[in-house]
Amino acid sequence: MDATEKHGAQFAAGGAYGPDAVADSMQRGDGGFGRDQQTYYDHPVLQKPHWKWEVVTYFFIGGMAAASSALAALAASGGDPDDALLVRNARYSALAGALASGALLVKDLGRPERFLNMLRIVKLKSPMSVGVYALSVFSMNAGVRALEQLHADGHAPFAVPGWLAKPLRVTTGAPATALMACYTGVLVSATAIPVWFTGRRHIPAIFVCSAVSTGAALQNALLVLTGGSARTAKKLAIVELIASCAEAVLLLHWRLSAGESAKPLFRGARGRRLERFTLVGGLALPALLLLPSVLSRRPRHDRLLGLTAAVAALFGGYVLRESIVHAGRDSADDARAYLRHPE
Amino acid sequence: MSTPEHGFFTDVTLCIGCKACEVACKQWNQLPADGYAFSGNSYDNTNGLSATTWRHVAFVEQMDRVEPSASRWMMMSDVCKHCTNAGCLEACPTGAIVRNEFGDVYVQPDVCNGCGYCVPSCPFGVVAIQPEAGVAQKCTLCYDRQKDGLEPACAKSCPTDSITFGPVEELRALAEARVAKLHAEGREAHLYGVDGPETRDVGALNAFFLIPDRPEVFNLPPKPVLPSKFQRAAYTSGLLGALALTAVGLAVFRPKPWSA
Ligand code: SF4
Ligand code: SF4
Repeated sequence: MDATEKHGAQFAAGGAYGPDAVADSMQRGDGGFGRDQQTYYDHPVLQKPHWKWEVVTYFFIGGMAAASSALAALAASGGDPDDALLVRNARYSALAGALASGALLVKDLGRPERFLNMLRIVKLKSPMSVGVYALSVFSMNAGVRALEQLHADGHAPFAVPGWLAKPLRVTTGAPATALMACYTGVLVSATAIPVWFTGRRHIPAIFVCSAVSTGAALQNALLVLTGGSARTAKKLAIVELIASCAEAVLLLHWRLSAGESAKPLFRGARGRRLERFTLVGGLALPALLLLPSVLSRRPRHDRLLGLTAAVAALFGGYVLRESIVHAGRDSADDARAYLRHPE
Repeated sequence: MSTPEHGFFTDVTLCIGCKACEVACKQWNQLPADGYAFSGNSYDNTNGLSATTWRHVAFVEQMDRVEPSASRWMMMSDVCKHCTNAGCLEACPTGAIVRNEFGDVYVQPDVCNGCGYCVPSCPFGVVAIQPEAGVAQKCTLCYDRQKDGLEPACAKSCPTDSITFGPVEELRALAEARVAKLHAEGREAHLYGVDGPETRDVGALNAFFLIPDRPEVFNLPPKPVLPSKFQRAAYTSGLLGALALTAVGLAVFRPKPWSA
């Protein structure tokens, strides 16, 4: 939006003053020029983040990739032969997700050709810098794992030498994966945007839970499509169920404990959308659909049910990221919420 | 550092709202125009700082119906604060934002890749991405002019010396004297960005202000936050979540499943 458009929109939305300013001035009866202004004409104090769909999608896919890689590692360490298909699917999808994440991140830059400037320094103080290194190391590990899997499947003529792969995995695998799952939450929390920083205790954990619930849903769908065992599907369903419950509890707790500054997320059309597609459609519905298979002693594999639950969970996860990113923009526009210093 | 830190002292009580600083800044820094728009907010059609507007003159009208002679029309030329603890600088992952030899917070336009993280990290809403250039832009405190021993364009053009440029220490002494003089005349005056509650997180501001009213009136946050202080809670939240769910995964995928 250029300046002319911006001012035009402001003018159309009720003149120079925001609705709050109009209400204030009516109360004072001074035509808007009293001595107790709360803001400067309600003009935003903060600048809006320019992040668009690329970043929303990256938050979503990056989380799923991290969870997929964690599920592959956990299933492989368990060693149940039934789970071999999950390990394989999850390793390939983790690499695909890592590659897509990198592409989305680069595309979002104002100057994509300067992406490598991110790697000219390491800055632990900047979650953006930490995140870029987490993604780089994560992608490297995902690549090595996928190559190993290709070799095991007989598709690759050479194996990654163990002396290289193992130390790499042991030292960097888990930390990079954990950071991949949560740093995006830290990234938004550590800003001056009220809805984000007041949610700093909730957002990162919610992002991790959402990464695991959508990652498990994705793996469940892939398992259905590749004809995996019902026992593996049951294990995935248990993980998804627990992550979804935790996510729902955190979201509700945030909503109940949040003050005025979380309004852009939980009220109005965005709040209803979050409720409908994330809380109900993305968390409660898949949980209900998965519950029978979790509770039954002899799980059957219902393909249609599994796929439906997965699609609902994935869409809910996307809506969650989108709502939080977009709420940040509206929050930046709310001068009153920020000037009230809502910490 | 051999050069003392340089900055701006902007005195609202001296500003006449001529906008010479806005124009001089645009001209010297070759910033594009922002279009013609009518805001209806007093004489202010600029509205705020942006990637292409590095000085912005705010116009605050206060009419006192009871005592008309107490009515005020205040103008304030806003600018990047060149914070001691700068949120933008801490957030920048490329190292594009640096503190230069004059103590200014400077965005190197050839290093920035336009990730945009500095934008929500500035507690004053100053730095922004300029879409055509694809990089973040804000006041440079006329780094180029300073290198040639010139004062910044805005300060040079200010006809009333509402904007004063110089070593921050000297500016502070000047400002204290001005406040004392105004108080002696019975007028309201506070310094914003020297040692008040607004410096709690961001530290002293190298570009500070003399304001005759509450900071909110000029859209200055009374207690600007330094975003990096939220990281500890955020990392704790995220890593605890990851730890807990890893434990769940370990239990579910353990070698001998209880359901077998
Ligand atoms: S005011 Fe904002 S842009 Fe200027 S130095 Fe401080 S944090 Fe950076
Ligand atoms: S947009 Fe440029 S200056 Fe701002 S944080 Fe990113 S790389 Fe640094």
